Amino acid sequence: MEGRPEHGPEHREASVTAGAVKSAAASVAERRRFLRRGVALAVGAVSGAARAETPNGGEIRLRKLYEKNLSFTPLAESLDGEIVAVRGFMAPPLKAGASFFVLTKRPMAICPFCDDAADWPNDIVAVHTKREVRIVPFNADIVVRGRLSLGDERDPETGFFSRLRLVDAVVERV
Amino acid sequence: MSKHLSRRSTLGRVLGRTAPLLGAFALTSTAALAQDTLPQADNAWYDGARQALQERLERQPNTNRAKNVILMISDGNGVGTNYATRLFHGQQNGGYGDENVLPQESMPYLALVKTYNTNAQTPDSAGTGTAMLAGVKTKAGVVGVDESVVRGDCSQVEAGKVTPLSRIMSEAGKSVGIVSTARLTHATPAAGYAHSADRNFEDDSDLPEGCEVPDIATQLLDAMTEGFVDIAMGGGRRHFLPAETVDDEGSSGRRTDGRDLVAEAQEAGARYAFDSDSFAAIDLAAEGPILGLFESSHMQYEFDRANEPSLAEMVEASIKAMEGNEEGFFLEVEAGRVDHANHGGNLHRAVTDGVAFAEAVAKARELTDESDTLIVVTADHEHAIAFNGYCGRGTPITGVCYGIDNAGIAHNGEVQTADDGRPYSVVGYLNGAGSVIKKEAIPAALAMEADHDTTAANDDQANDVAMASGSDAGGTDTDSDAPAPIGETGDQVAAKLLERLDVTTETDEATGESTSFRWIGSRGELTQEEATDPDYIQQAAIPMGSETHSGEDVAVYASGPFAHLFDGTVEQNYLFHVMHHAAFGSE
Repeated sequence: MEGRPEHGPEHREASVTAGAVKSAAASVAERRRFLRRGVALAVGAVSGAARAETPNGGEIRLRKLYEKNLSFTPLAESLDGEIVAVRGFMAPPLKAGASFFVLTKRPMAICPFCDDAADWPNDIVAVHTKREVRIVPFNADIVVRGRLSLGDERDPETGFFSRLRLVDAVVERV
Repeated sequence: MSKHLSRRSTLGRVLGRTAPLLGAFALTSTAALAQDTLPQADNAWYDGARQALQERLERQPNTNRAKNVILMISDGNGVGTNYATRLFHGQQNGGYGDENVLPQESMPYLALVKTYNTNAQTPDSAGTGTAMLAGVKTKAGVVGVDESVVRGDCSQVEAGKVTPLSRIMSEAGKSVGIVSTARLTHATPAAGYAHSADRNFEDDSDLPEGCEVPDIATQLLDAMTEGFVDIAMGGGRRHFLPAETVDDEGSSGRRTDGRDLVAEAQEAGARYAFDSDSFAAIDLAAEGPILGLFESSHMQYEFDRANEPSLAEMVEASIKAMEGNEEGFFLEVEAGRVDHANHGGNLHRAVTDGVAFAEAVAKARELTDESDTLIVVTADHEHAIAFNGYCGRGTPITGVCYGIDNAGIAHNGEVQTADDGRPYSVVGYLNGAGSVIKKEAIPAALAMEADHDTTAANDDQANDVAMASGSDAGGTDTDSDAPAPIGETGDQVAAKLLERLDVTTETDEATGESTSFRWIGSRGELTQEEATDPDYIQQAAIPMGSETHSGEDVAVYASGPFAHLFDGTVEQNYLFHVMHHAAFGSE
């Protein structure tokens, strides 16, 4: 959606007016429906607000951390060292007992490290978990909460090179 | 009034000169009356359709010789995917979406295309590309060869070679350009210049031992140095560079023969571009071939695009570079990533790349003349994409379904829910990563071991499995306090239960570690905000890592010389024959 205006509501207002003109009965029905919709919208607004991008506590889409040219966004820069929650997917492969995985913005069905020919996305987040990773299906939405750390780094244990990572992370299914 | 007269004279001819004049007059006046005095005559829909009718009545077939032919393929953009793009594009422009007309949809002629390969109900791009470019259907996975070739068998390529239209055009003195947002060595662009037993033989490291047919990248270099292909722009740089070479954007090559095909092309006089700046710096008026390799692998999705040209910009540069040739040109254009986004189940990127393709179509039409340029717009195949109902007008095509307003036009703003009480998106895929059913691991402590001791503990564990996975054990005796049924051991009961729960155990051959899992799932809550997010993966029915193609028809839209020959339902290899006829007549 990203800044694209919703088309429904404006048109909707016009049609409510038209309905009211047509007949009183229609107008009552309209109003009832309009009220119901108002409630639905209010509920939507609350959950929407909870998801807003707040520096702490709010949930961030993975893509909001990288610019298109793969430099860090001002949002990422501003959150360096902070506890953040990033939404994405757990990429395979996962070794039992590991405390590391890669978070991707969209599901990766295959293991990019296993197959040289696979196209490994550049905009990823390396995740070092607080506890042993509990395997989540590659296509299940997850939110990872941890301390954001920017800057090139090679993990001594796995040898994995990352530009951005979450440490002491906890994984949550959406 | 003149309308009535012409109608009467037509009817007069139909009825014959001997028909009583009065009778003919009575008939025509009734017909005319019906048109003008119908209660719906003032309706805008009525008027719009009358205009559409009039345009078609005035249409004259263009039988000029096509100096230029442009074949534009949106990979994976069947009728369904194109519909999604139509709505997305229209909604981006502030409309409901449905009423929108994409540039290709305003072209005068179209047909439906049957896309199967000779050995595949569900086609792949190599077989379909060959059908469009060479005029014969062939097997799935092979490029530029007929169906006599067994996929992967290099020894059969020479005997099975078919000649693509691009080469025929080149031999007729026309310039040839190939443009794609996928790797230039990928199936669809490769069908324009290569012959290969397997679409995956993109560079020498992919070739099987003993294969004497050059890899696809080498064939492109050869085509450029011999003067067959004049312009090639797209992705796939890694297949042109040695493994030990790091390219201008920091990625390594893939070739193991040590050849640097980019350098070889430049030595042969090619101008080379690898990013937006070097693309903009190309002197289109200068002599010599142009090679653009803008990514190590595929070019970026339009949504993510940075520092590389758009498809429309590549089309514009190609046309401007070739239009100086008095003999004309042939341009093959592929929007390669509509397909990839569909494979990923991510409608947002499929339709944003679909819009980028539509812009390329508009650019091609704008820069050429219908009198001498045949433009053919199509897809190579469709995907397993499907559309839910019943949504009101203006429901975001990438989002969840809103209800229909019985008193107005726009949707009523009420999110529609399925029997499970959950919202659903307008678009779903029949299979893919968006699968509702997921491979859920069962904690090892709860999973049953096949060689377990026969004790009551088995029943306990089976019960735990049932509870852990939220399954209703449904009347089976899983209560650990109850004795096992006579004649069955605890193991047997547990085994039966596990079978019913559909628990699978996989053992990693390398480590010996086993994991137990179930394929299970339910649809979660879904807000409009989540569904319209550019990274949203539409829900799918069948679990697959990559969503599949489908064998469903695609459309072909055309304008220019002999475009009217696109009519009815045709086989995909027919496209070649219309393009060839438009360029060369019945020669």
